[in-house]
Amino acid sequence: MNFSESELADERIIEDVLAGRDGAFIQLVTRYRRKVFAMSARFARDRDDLDDICQDIFIKVYENLGKFRSDAPFEHWLSRIAIRTCYDALRKRRKEKGNVPLDTIHYQIAAESGEDHLVAEQARTLLEMGMAQLKPAERLVITLLELEEKPVREIAELTGWSETNVKVRAFRARQKLKRILEKYHER
Amino acid sequence: MKDERDELLDELFSKARLMKPDTGSVEGHFETRLLAAMEEKRSDQYLWSSWTWRLVPWLAVIVIIVGIGSVTIDPGQSGDLFAAFAGGDDDYQVTSILAGG
Repeated sequence: MNFSESELADERIIEDVLAGRDGAFIQLVTRYRRKVFAMSARFARDRDDLDDICQDIFIKVYENLGKFRSDAPFEHWLSRIAIRTCYDALRKRRKEKGNVPLDTIHYQIAAESGEDHLVAEQARTLLEMGMAQLKPAERLVITLLELEEKPVREIAELTGWSETNVKVRAFRARQKLKRILEKYHER
Repeated sequence: MKDERDELLDELFSKARLMKPDTGSVEGHFETRLLAAMEEKRSDQYLWSSWTWRLVPWLAVIVIIVGIGSVTIDPGQSGDLFAAFAGGDDDYQVTSILAGG
């Protein structure tokens, strides 16, 4: 198997962490922090929630690093842990429905005109409102599929669900979202 | 087959995709917070494990006392229906009580 330079560097850092050098772990965190934050931000309720989710992800990585097998890139392994932690956070949140975030996450808008900015912001808010009413598994799948534009196969790998299961959940999520948006327009 | 609502939803998704979460301000000093959280978790685990080990002798004493008690204490025979169950000869005792013996 061919390893890229980055993967080899990961391997070396992981060996150092397993040898008991905590400083090496911080190196690993710094390398992947941005990616983990970007991935988790779609599922976090506010900035504190995002920080908590990311801390949980890296603590799980640290605790399970001994189980990491080098036959796949570290990034894939980390992404799986991140997605499962986000899913757990969504499930936990279902119990505390109705909480409105006070300190929301900021978004960068890749739109050109001011009008496009406004439309994008409205679309995001509307979708967020609709997605808050979905089951955690449905929300996870539809976010990865439609907002992150990940292929079904990759979602299946990340979540550990079968491709059929992912497709079924995505279909149900779309149906529900259509009904929710329809109700919203009727008002 | 896609209907009008599907098209609307697709449009919403494409507009929402223009917005990428900007996490830069939340990421500041993340490593420091993470190390503090890991340290706290470690000390919690240490506290729990040290308390668990301290409780082991007490649990052993309780198990020994219960063991000795169950061997030496004989509830004996009495007219009390529940004592009969505890004694183990419940069939005989229940029949005797119900028959007025």
